[in-house]
Amino acid sequence: MHDRDGIMNPDTERGLAAALRALPQEAPQPDLWPDLARALSQRRQPSRWRYALPAALAAGIALAVLAPRWPLEPNAAPAPGAPAVAAVTPAVPTAQKPDDSAELDVLHQRSQSLERWIAAFTANAPQDSRDLMAAVEVEDLIGLVDVQLDAARGDGDALPLWRQRVALLQDLATIRGNAFAVAANDAGATRASSQMLN
Amino acid sequence: MSATSFQIDIAETTLARARRGDLRALEQIYRTFERPAYTLALRMLGNVETAREVVHDAMLHLLERIGQFRGDAPFWGWLRQIVVNEALMKLRRERGVQFEELPDDDDTPSTDPAPWALAEARHLERALDRLPALTRSVLWLYHVEEYTHQEIAEMTGKSVSFSKSQVARGSTRLRNLLESDTPRYPQEVASCMTATAS
Repeated sequence: MHDRDGIMNPDTERGLAAALRALPQEAPQPDLWPDLARALSQRRQPSRWRYALPAALAAGIALAVLAPRWPLEPNAAPAPGAPAVAAVTPAVPTAQKPDDSAELDVLHQRSQSLERWIAAFTANAPQDSRDLMAAVEVEDLIGLVDVQLDAARGDGDALPLWRQRVALLQDLATIRGNAFAVAANDAGATRASSQMLN
Repeated sequence: MSATSFQIDIAETTLARARRGDLRALEQIYRTFERPAYTLALRMLGNVETAREVVHDAMLHLLERIGQFRGDAPFWGWLRQIVVNEALMKLRRERGVQFEELPDDDDTPSTDPAPWALAEARHLERALDRLPALTRSVLWLYHVEEYTHQEIAEMTGKSVSFSKSQVARGSTRLRNLLESDTPRYPQEVASCMTATAS
């Protein structure tokens, strides 16, 4: 922590800080650990969507690689009515080494493009519960990376995290894109069967 | 004295075991940070039940994702940020978008000796509890956790000058509350005792 520009008399400020720090620490009552241990054990048990996620990723791999480059220009706006993506690209750290700044710029732009693309797909594609849960899990992981980015002290810390963030956004794009492809196929099949019936 | 009680390093072997899902390692990490986390949440929120919920959610969030922790930022910093974010979210949800703030007329500096140097812990705790939640949170984050005004402004979505004014007004209000709550000088205590005896 730095740049602490105090506004009180420094002695008074130090005195208050010392008095507050001297207050006794408290512990949650009753103990939280039994609940936490139970929740952790339950969530580690395999569930259906944990197996479905790799399948969805594999099925949509072509969309993940190709589609984010296709529909949106770098400054294109999301589709009308598109909800905001849960993760918002954080600001790039200002203090950067020259070697890393170019890659950070590219990753930041890629991150923004993917977010716009995901927002557009989210608006257009219905999500089944399996995809929705997988997407929520990936969004949580993006949130985790964002927390670590907040704590990053320079580009040495930030660069691998930005790479991880873009990779996770690509995973999210795959899940969204896969759902969109399935929905499009379903719509096509419905139209074809209607024509046959008529 | 350590700047913040959160600054505790976790052994790499414990982290490695926790990443593999070893429940005893996860509990060891929880026990290490249980008090600093709960104390921070309690000081920010001023309510034991809500603070308990915040620590539960923050710890679950952290322990579930510990496998994703890269170790390039301090572990305690990651946890502390999660607790602060959860507590601020709780304040926003419970009090709406607008936080209660101290008025302008509460930042008149005093030249009297600072009462917190002599105040008993329970008096200081009681005075803290009587501050508006956001003022108390800003005061604690600044003085105890040593966040800068810039960092506090980013976390609360307010300006740097807002953070500074809350620290100044909060300190003045705390001084006033302590002065009205506790005898200021030993002579006053003696005179009170004499008056009571007679």
